[in-house]
Amino acid sequence: MDPVRKDEFDSEACGSLSPKSKPCPRPKPGEAAGGCSFDGAQITLLPIMDAAHLVHGPIACAGNSWESRGALSSGPSLSQYGFATDLNDSDIIFGGEKKLKESIDYIAGRFAPPAIFVYSTCVTALIGEDMDAVCKEAGERLHIPVIPVNSPGFVGSKNLGNRLAGDALLQYVIGTGEPEPGTPLGVNLIGEYNIAGEMWDIEKLMNSAGIAVTSRITGDARYKEITWAHRAKVNMVVCSRALLGLAKEMESRYGIPYFEGSFYGAKETTYSLRQMAYLMNDREMERRVDRLTEREESRLAMDLRPYRKLLKGKKAVLYTGGVKSWSVISALKELGVQVVGVGTNKSTEDDVRRIADRVGDDTEYIPEGGASRILKTVRERKADIMIAGGRNMYVAMKEQIPFIDINQERHKAYAGYEGLLRLAKELTYSLANPIWKLASSPAPWDKEAPPYDR
Amino acid sequence: MTVNRRKKPASVNPIKIGQSLGAVLALQGCYRAMPLIHGSQGCSAFPKALLTRHFREPIAVQTSALQEMDVIFDANRNLEEALNLVLSKHRPDIIGIVGTELTDVAGVDYQSLLKTYKRERNMRGGLAFSVVLPDFRGSLESGFSTTVEAMIDEMIQQVGHRGSRNVNTRQITLLPGSFLTPADVMELKEMISSFGFDVIAVPDISTSLSGHLLTGFSPLTRGGVPLDSMLQSLQSGLTIAVGASMERPARRLHNALGTPYKVFNGAMGLKATDDLLHFLHQISGEPVPLRYCWQRENLLDSMLDAHFQFAGMSVVAALEPDHLYSVSSWLEELGMEQKALIASYETPIVAGMEREVWVGDLDDAEVLGKDADLWISNSHGIAGAERIEAAFLAAGFPVWSELGAYMSVSVGYRGAMEWSNKAGDLLMRREAERREGSVRHR
Repeated sequence: MDPVRKDEFDSEACGSLSPKSKPCPRPKPGEAAGGCSFDGAQITLLPIMDAAHLVHGPIACAGNSWESRGALSSGPSLSQYGFATDLNDSDIIFGGEKKLKESIDYIAGRFAPPAIFVYSTCVTALIGEDMDAVCKEAGERLHIPVIPVNSPGFVGSKNLGNRLAGDALLQYVIGTGEPEPGTPLGVNLIGEYNIAGEMWDIEKLMNSAGIAVTSRITGDARYKEITWAHRAKVNMVVCSRALLGLAKEMESRYGIPYFEGSFYGAKETTYSLRQMAYLMNDREMERRVDRLTEREESRLAMDLRPYRKLLKGKKAVLYTGGVKSWSVISALKELGVQVVGVGTNKSTEDDVRRIADRVGDDTEYIPEGGASRILKTVRERKADIMIAGGRNMYVAMKEQIPFIDINQERHKAYAGYEGLLRLAKELTYSLANPIWKLASSPAPWDKEAPPYDR
Repeated sequence: MTVNRRKKPASVNPIKIGQSLGAVLALQGCYRAMPLIHGSQGCSAFPKALLTRHFREPIAVQTSALQEMDVIFDANRNLEEALNLVLSKHRPDIIGIVGTELTDVAGVDYQSLLKTYKRERNMRGGLAFSVVLPDFRGSLESGFSTTVEAMIDEMIQQVGHRGSRNVNTRQITLLPGSFLTPADVMELKEMISSFGFDVIAVPDISTSLSGHLLTGFSPLTRGGVPLDSMLQSLQSGLTIAVGASMERPARRLHNALGTPYKVFNGAMGLKATDDLLHFLHQISGEPVPLRYCWQRENLLDSMLDAHFQFAGMSVVAALEPDHLYSVSSWLEELGMEQKALIASYETPIVAGMEREVWVGDLDDAEVLGKDADLWISNSHGIAGAERIEAAFLAAGFPVWSELGAYMSVSVGYRGAMEWSNKAGDLLMRREAERREGSVRHR
């Protein structure tokens, strides 16, 4: 095997294994879109629902972003609290470490969380706050883990933030606890954030095949369960290449095998469940998975029949980040929807290869370029629907293009067999809505008078 | 009366919004504009996402996408690159460079960069200006008004001193505060123009964030006040500012051009509307249009009908300073007990209020407003309102929990009526639910 090159190591940050494509391209001033590393770190860690998440910096980083991510909780809601040290002028001049310390004490005293995550921001990183020391000292004094997350916005992209959050978990959380004796051990789900409750659908499926979830990293997670993640038998990296590094590290540290999979579409779901059972090395489990997937798939085929009829031959443009670009294509293909354009701006060479496996030769790749570029593809390819993140939703609405939201702010769960049915329904509702006809026809007084013979 | 702060080190569930978001909002009200945030990517991504969520419209904003090394070595290289790209690709009429806490702490001097840039590129015809808006000061409101001030300064510099000014006494410049919705701005424009005035709102979100179906995508703002109208506003005979924070921009026009101005601190409720209409009546010499007389009766009648609902009820409100002032005077008219009033930061207007005001966050609203019947704040307050079992009334920014919040009218008699009914309905429903609950438990 070739020795690991520096660029290859770096490239993992963005999930790219290919040295050809630049791993973390510098965002282009005046043309950049999307969040920063701080955003990415929060996306990964906020779904640890019972922990407190404290943002160390001026107000905007917390004030402009809390409660904006769609990860759902089945119980505790402390992670939905917006905590900020809210630094002012004099804190910046004289240092905010005292305020940080007091804030940690305050949160620990009043809310008694099992752990506190502390996020650095551009300003606190710039003025050189020693966050690690403050957290360490506070943790020892308060006897709870206080975890520094060094992912200020200016270090790079959202993806890098995901990865830095993963590093924090590896360094401070995973391996620090042990499960209760008798807890069934199974699979860690890595990079599944329980957007719109997708995790619950997945877990239900796994449980009916007798596969236990050991740790959720991090959808609807509790802090404690992540501390014993190293006891799992298998790691599944769900739709987030940014956390691939975490899985790799756990493989080398704890010998836990991992695989990458997805739950979008029946085929991918079946594959993922099979893979879990296979890596668990349990014949009985494999048989159970076979029976389950067979049953679910045939039931789904029945349920989907009316929708397939309506969706057959419809064209879609898909614009979403990274892994979802290929995994959602599978789901759409199963519904008979043809993907005529697909965004590849956040995809790696690996992802692009997977996309190529799944689409026809005439599919257009949209490497970058934001809204106007997507719209061009929609028009040129005469697409019926656009599937993208919430940021592009109102762009599509203005152009009167049917739209489905696929990113983290959405409210519909599309994972698993149930999810595919839901996706089929959503596509149908969206395409069949009367608004498209109403919006495209002019007011009566704007219509030309019909020609008639005198 | 007094402004208090609860002693606690951290902000818990903040209502404060970064100042730079206010700047982005102000620029959305100008046609073919582009706010350019000088900071890291998140500094523009968060405001974009939040504004999109509230207005359900595409939002124009760009970033200089600073990274660590750029901040250390030369942040302005990024800004120049961003300017080049935005100007050559989209040719905006107005460009506003918004400095963040990152550029402020790093000591980046982009004002002089912009000056040189403008000179070298011979940027004529457009409007380019910069504002310093670090997030460790102020909030949305101050960011908004500071940006409007900077915009007006730039306009004055560009044309103000050129020749003599033809004052158009039938034209009024309206400076609407950041707490007004697009529908509010539209309502105010209508009210003023119904007395025979031409109105130019600076900025004018009523035509840009109110929902329209202009086709043809552009990353610049669509709708809003065009640059030529903005420049024309310098000829107005009078400035009307709504919201105390808009007094400073109004004063700029007064100092530079001698334009007299009138500030209305609030615009919500019977008395505030009376004041505005009375003033317009006096300066125009025109009678108050019949529809407002009629609306006034409607409002009074609906307040009579609803007053049972508000009697003995208490309310907690957490809003931006101007908005808090405005809402508080309206609540006064409803006869509700104002249990706690919380402002995002301190300004002279809230410091001068007759009631006690707290500077704080939504957690303070929860603690100080314990047992309140009604909770008024942005959508972040839903959870807190639930915890203290108060009825939740969404107001301010951001509101994502209801459709068409940006089209809701709170100014004028019509607005007061709409909001009184809304608040009354919420209290009525809460009462009914409680009754039902108590029957079930028996």
